[in-house]
Amino acid sequence: MSGSPKRLTMEELDRLCHRRQAAGVPMAAYAGPLARHVADGDRRLLKLLYDDSAAALRLWNFLLTEEDRLHEARAAGRKIVGTMKDLGTVPVMAYALPNLVAFYPDGAWWTPCVMELSEGLFGIAQSLGLGDAMCPVRAMAGAFINRAHFPLPDLLTCSVGATCDDFSAIAQRLESLGYPILWWEMPSRRQPDPDEPAATLPGGFRAPESQVALVRSELDRVRAALSELAGSPLADEALAAGIREANRVRGILGRLRRLAYTADPCPMPALEMLIAEMLAIHFCSDRAESVAVLTELLDEVRRRADEHVGVLPAGAARLFWVNPVADLRVMNLLEDCGARLCGTEYLFCHALDAIPQDLPPMEALARMALADPMVGPSADRAARVVRDARAFGAEGVVVSRIPGASHCALEGAVIGGIVRDELGLPVVELEVPPVADPLWPTLKTRLEALVETVLDRRTR
Amino acid sequence: MKTVVYSSPFVPAEWIAAHGVRPRRIRPDPAAASPSPYGPVLGAGPIMGVCPYARAFMGEVLSAPAAGAAVFTTTCDQMRRAAEWAGRACHPGTATSRAVAGGAAPWHGPPKAGRLASRGGGPPVFLMNVPATWQTPAAARLYRDELRRLGRFLVHLGGTAPSRDRLAETLEAYDARRAALRGALGTLSARQASEAIARFDLGSEKVSGTLRLKVPDTFSDAAPDLPRGTPVALVGGPLMRGDSRIFDVLEKAGGVVVLDGTESGARTLPAPVDRRRLRDDPLMELVDAYFGTIPDAFRRPDALLYQWLGRELAASAARGIIVWRYVWCDMWAAAAARLRETTGLPVLDLDVSGDPARQPSRLGRAVPGGGAGASPAGLARSAGRIQAFMEVLK
Repeated sequence: MSGSPKRLTMEELDRLCHRRQAAGVPMAAYAGPLARHVADGDRRLLKLLYDDSAAALRLWNFLLTEEDRLHEARAAGRKIVGTMKDLGTVPVMAYALPNLVAFYPDGAWWTPCVMELSEGLFGIAQSLGLGDAMCPVRAMAGAFINRAHFPLPDLLTCSVGATCDDFSAIAQRLESLGYPILWWEMPSRRQPDPDEPAATLPGGFRAPESQVALVRSELDRVRAALSELAGSPLADEALAAGIREANRVRGILGRLRRLAYTADPCPMPALEMLIAEMLAIHFCSDRAESVAVLTELLDEVRRRADEHVGVLPAGAARLFWVNPVADLRVMNLLEDCGARLCGTEYLFCHALDAIPQDLPPMEALARMALADPMVGPSADRAARVVRDARAFGAEGVVVSRIPGASHCALEGAVIGGIVRDELGLPVVELEVPPVADPLWPTLKTRLEALVETVLDRRTR
Repeated sequence: MKTVVYSSPFVPAEWIAAHGVRPRRIRPDPAAASPSPYGPVLGAGPIMGVCPYARAFMGEVLSAPAAGAAVFTTTCDQMRRAAEWAGRACHPGTATSRAVAGGAAPWHGPPKAGRLASRGGGPPVFLMNVPATWQTPAAARLYRDELRRLGRFLVHLGGTAPSRDRLAETLEAYDARRAALRGALGTLSARQASEAIARFDLGSEKVSGTLRLKVPDTFSDAAPDLPRGTPVALVGGPLMRGDSRIFDVLEKAGGVVVLDGTESGARTLPAPVDRRRLRDDPLMELVDAYFGTIPDAFRRPDALLYQWLGRELAASAARGIIVWRYVWCDMWAAAAARLRETTGLPVLDLDVSGDPARQPSRLGRAVPGGGAGASPAGLARSAGRIQAFMEVLK
């Protein structure tokens, strides 16, 4: 897997994988052709285009074998924590205890896409009263019921308050079905009043100290529950070590993002970068391995950048992407339309920023949790988008709406307005359902129009 | 005296009144979000997927520049975000900390704000953080601290921070008025009771044309002949102005509402205050009366709601439940199926879409469930479903 990088079909990637295996090239224990996942029902894999590097193959295999790791962890006597909604905070705490492993049941929102709706999760959700007016994360409820996608957690936590209503309602429905949940409050982040003691959060937002204190006390309840589950107290020293390890992941990812989003030609496709960013929120259930996976990916991107080679032609339109897509294939479409990714805000920028190491660990985690872009005003989020889009040199912004998500109704217009005002960049809003094939012509047309606008502006 | 408009039952009227400001809990007019004269703001992209109630309340705030302020709450995500939208639309170009107490960074007006952005001058907006959790002391403290912050906002508006005695007296006065209201509700038809609560929430029966807060005065104080029919409970989110017609639609279909569990009904009345504790710490008494007791679908866990429903459904002998919810309201959408399970009663899930002609779905297809309610035309469309439901219950 060397030479000029390119995007491959799954069959082409699997042939390369077989060749590597036949040649005795060392591979991770979980590595193998992606076709085995198609056999398990992951049919969307057949329609995606992949980066041709060994690093990307490892990334995909790491992602697609998470369920196996969770079952292995349980078999090995480790306790499983299902952390819901906070996207990046509780896993840092859970992985600070050696006999806990944490994952996001929320991740099931991609299952209908990956299995092209063959798994029936939305149908189960519908039968529970969670219909298609709700965010695709309702698939999570179906996954709890049919127990076919992850082992049932030993402890469930869920942040509520300033979160999306879809998730809160779905989680409450789960609790009503007999899945106890430790709810913890996430206040609506606000600007400190004049003369009110305030703290600076990772990423640059500011919040009243009183809000940080509240989140700290809520996380203390989570800490007590994790300690009880683990059978040993979660001491500050262990937490500090956990924060250092999390920062290691975030540091590698930060370097990877900077290089992948700025080098020209584009050294790593948008789809692989999306998967890589996701590793930051819970390490795909193996923190040490996520470091290794990201490191190999970073090395590959560095090599390509040094050699001035990429997976796309040089000069592709540089687009910033807001919100994760329910259909992974749309990240391929972006590139098919002549664009490349140039910065992202996938709703978890707080999981990408370094957690302060010069503060008591619970204080640091509380500040990080409160920096969640979902818990503050849309204008805060827009400010972050503006800052990062400027830093990465974006030429256009795509706001990808999540069908049914309560936050998407108004925030896209706010973000788009601010981006236009502050940066003068063209903005397009899209809505991406879990399997976007019926909307393909529309999505393609809108993305192509944005690309044309971007390229046209270069000549003026 | 300045007036503060709000819609959430978790905003205590007596707290506002104790500051020398007039509280008016309104039922927003769906027409307030109509394209004219504020179409450039509310008729643009954000109409897609926006809760009709949140949109109507936004519209009401934007069209009530004479109001002293508007209070939104975080009890639902859409209202939380609507506060930001309304605050910025009212005060383009100002720091949000001034435009929206509890907001964000400076901003220069909503996109395509057109006439409204250049107009500005709407009321200041306050976003009150009502915690979703309620079983911990920290949650109650947060609610109390938010009341204090609201108090500072009211003082900034020109109000006066109340002394402990003044606060206690105000609480007592409201408690007495509320006790009288509770006593009267049993003698009124469901529609009359709903409208009595609406008038109570407005603080008086006087009409302010500027604020467009009129509630139809269609009943005398007591109705000797209450309607008869198949007893049903109406449970769910808040009513908008004019929505009390739903009670008539139900009666025409042969039903009668014996339990109003909407957000606008008796369910969200705060608990009576404890007169002995009132003098010691009136603020905490206020916290207990509101935050400690009002059952709602957004609370986590939502046990209070189901305790209340279990008790009240049994007492009312309702034979069926109609869930009144707005499209895109996730909280009540999820509650409908659970109500079927927990009560064993037939449930009609009545999704209210405001004016369907102006409320397309986020996916550009028909609103799930077909849409109903809110506007007169919408209510007429609901009639068929209600009629069928009543036939099932007979």
